[in-house]
Amino acid sequence: MTDRPVLAGEVPADLVAVAERHGQVVAAGDNAATLADFRADRTGQLTGSARLPDRLISSRLLRLEAEPDGLFAAYIRYTADDGGSTVLRSVWVRLDEGWRVTQVRNIPATPPVMAAAGPRDDGLDAPHWEGLRDGEVRVQRCGRCGHWIWAPQPACPRCHGFELAWPTVEPAGNVYSWTRTWQPFSPELSGHVPFVIVLAELPSAGGRRLLGVLHDGDSTDMRVGQAVRGEIDPAPDPGGWPVLRWRRV
Amino acid sequence: MSRSLRGAAAVAGIGATPYYKRGTSPHSALRLTLEAILAACADAGLDAHDVDGFVSYANDLSEGLAVGAALGVREIRWSTMVWGGGGGGVAAAVNAAAAAVASGQAEHVIVYRGLTEADDGRQSYGKGHFPSLLSAHGVLTPAQVCALRTQRMLEVDGVPGSALEALVQASYQHAQQNPDAVAYGRPLDHDTYAGARWVSEPLRLFDCSRENDGAAAVLVTSAERARDLRPVPAYVLSGVQGAGPDWSESAENNAAYTSAGFHPALVARLWAQAELAPGAADVVQVYENFSGPAVASLIDLGLCPPGAEAGTFMTLPNLLAPDGALPVNTAGGNLAEGFVHGIGLVLEAVRQIRGTSANQVPGADISLLLGGPVAPLVSATVFGSPATV
Repeated sequence: MTDRPVLAGEVPADLVAVAERHGQVVAAGDNAATLADFRADRTGQLTGSARLPDRLISSRLLRLEAEPDGLFAAYIRYTADDGGSTVLRSVWVRLDEGWRVTQVRNIPATPPVMAAAGPRDDGLDAPHWEGLRDGEVRVQRCGRCGHWIWAPQPACPRCHGFELAWPTVEPAGNVYSWTRTWQPFSPELSGHVPFVIVLAELPSAGGRRLLGVLHDGDSTDMRVGQAVRGEIDPAPDPGGWPVLRWRRV
Repeated sequence: MSRSLRGAAAVAGIGATPYYKRGTSPHSALRLTLEAILAACADAGLDAHDVDGFVSYANDLSEGLAVGAALGVREIRWSTMVWGGGGGGVAAAVNAAAAAVASGQAEHVIVYRGLTEADDGRQSYGKGHFPSLLSAHGVLTPAQVCALRTQRMLEVDGVPGSALEALVQASYQHAQQNPDAVAYGRPLDHDTYAGARWVSEPLRLFDCSRENDGAAAVLVTSAERARDLRPVPAYVLSGVQGAGPDWSESAENNAAYTSAGFHPALVARLWAQAELAPGAADVVQVYENFSGPAVASLIDLGLCPPGAEAGTFMTLPNLLAPDGALPVNTAGGNLAEGFVHGIGLVLEAVRQIRGTSANQVPGADISLLLGGPVAPLVSATVFGSPATV
């Protein structure tokens, strides 16, 4: 049988049928049955977390994997009528009422692509965004006293000079802080949560800190101080803007 | 001539609507605001036509002049909006009203805040504070900014997560005695807290404040007038507001990153103006958008030790009225009473001076209000009983 799922670790036998049936009700568009599989205290969060194509025709449980803390991850591939396919990983927990989904995400993990990217209306940060289009990370610096300025300002807060420069900096630094966001606060985040936001401190920019989403947002061993390197993700469309991301080194 | 505000003004009336589940208010934010103001005036025994000043914060949609027109007041002498998003302006609004009456600009100033999801939308508290240098990276909400600050406070400063939970549990326990609280009759146990869904690590669901529809208001007047109106005015002993170096709108480049924003000079002014030893509060209402920044506020104020020792101090017994070392959020706060941008905390700070809290701290003379951790602006007010002036 080529359709049998891979079982990794000690996987309870009854979970296989539960996860297969979950895939079937999702593929059939049976929302009531899908919601019934979710933990009751997080149906809203789970519904907004994953993103699937509209017209699904089939599902297949690829793999069930034992995780720490009594959790089990199910990888289910959904196929749409146009032939495209999407894999979701649902994490299951056994509660008094039965097996329930406690987390779900699209596989692979990809950073959210936000329509808000790009310069603000007054253009104050435009050289930064233009720099990304040129494949460079540029940070504002006072041309008179050398003070590094972030967020950008119309004048140097230290010497009050208006001669502001935008030198290219080495996009390498260390995690100053981080958070893994699970709540799909906007529809743009659906299909991408959870993702890790990193605030990285850049020695090449006088210790100024730049935000960016971490590639590989599923990594569980995040810590302050880790070395990261910037990468510039291309604009999603010709009129859009590239975005700075971080990757651990 | 002293330049101090100490004892020159007092709160003589408080009023509030119910806390409605967000999106379910039967009325507009302006209508709710009028209900709250009328209740505050009735509480003070003042004809609402005699109100002559209005102060709000956090870009309240009901402009002071419009509120005054709706009430048909005889004269508007003072109308102020405190700049700075989030709840940072809540105590600053009280301070602005106190400054107005202390300097003779007005006599009866209402501090108000009204919110409905229908009028303000979701997450109205964050509007305009998430430019593309944040939002392009999926940072869309105060929850995520506060999570970043809290993560470093836990991981680098060594504040234990138990300190956050103690504050949350104290809020819920206090709410069980407050029939007006949204969480009344809905206690929170450890397993429910710790097993709740993540919002943005390290913050889980119950670390986050609610969002409600509602309105509340207080009447600030001169000390002399307050004594005419109320047997026990809540005197303003001091008030501070502001932002420290590199604090506001810096795309997470704040100098004191794990601070809530109450920088040392501001804290020193707060106690000095009140003529109190640092930390001499009997009870504290601390704005908790999220549990972590509230703990950071108490650390900033010197009410709680920093680092690992915060866990030793921030225990549930220490935070509970009536006997705890530092009772906090005795009505339940934004977490468990309800969230109308923290205005409810002002009312509870006043109740503690009056002796009318559902979780009264016996003989409370000094009642501290802290507004707006991690917001672009923070503010604080010390209220004192008649014995303190």
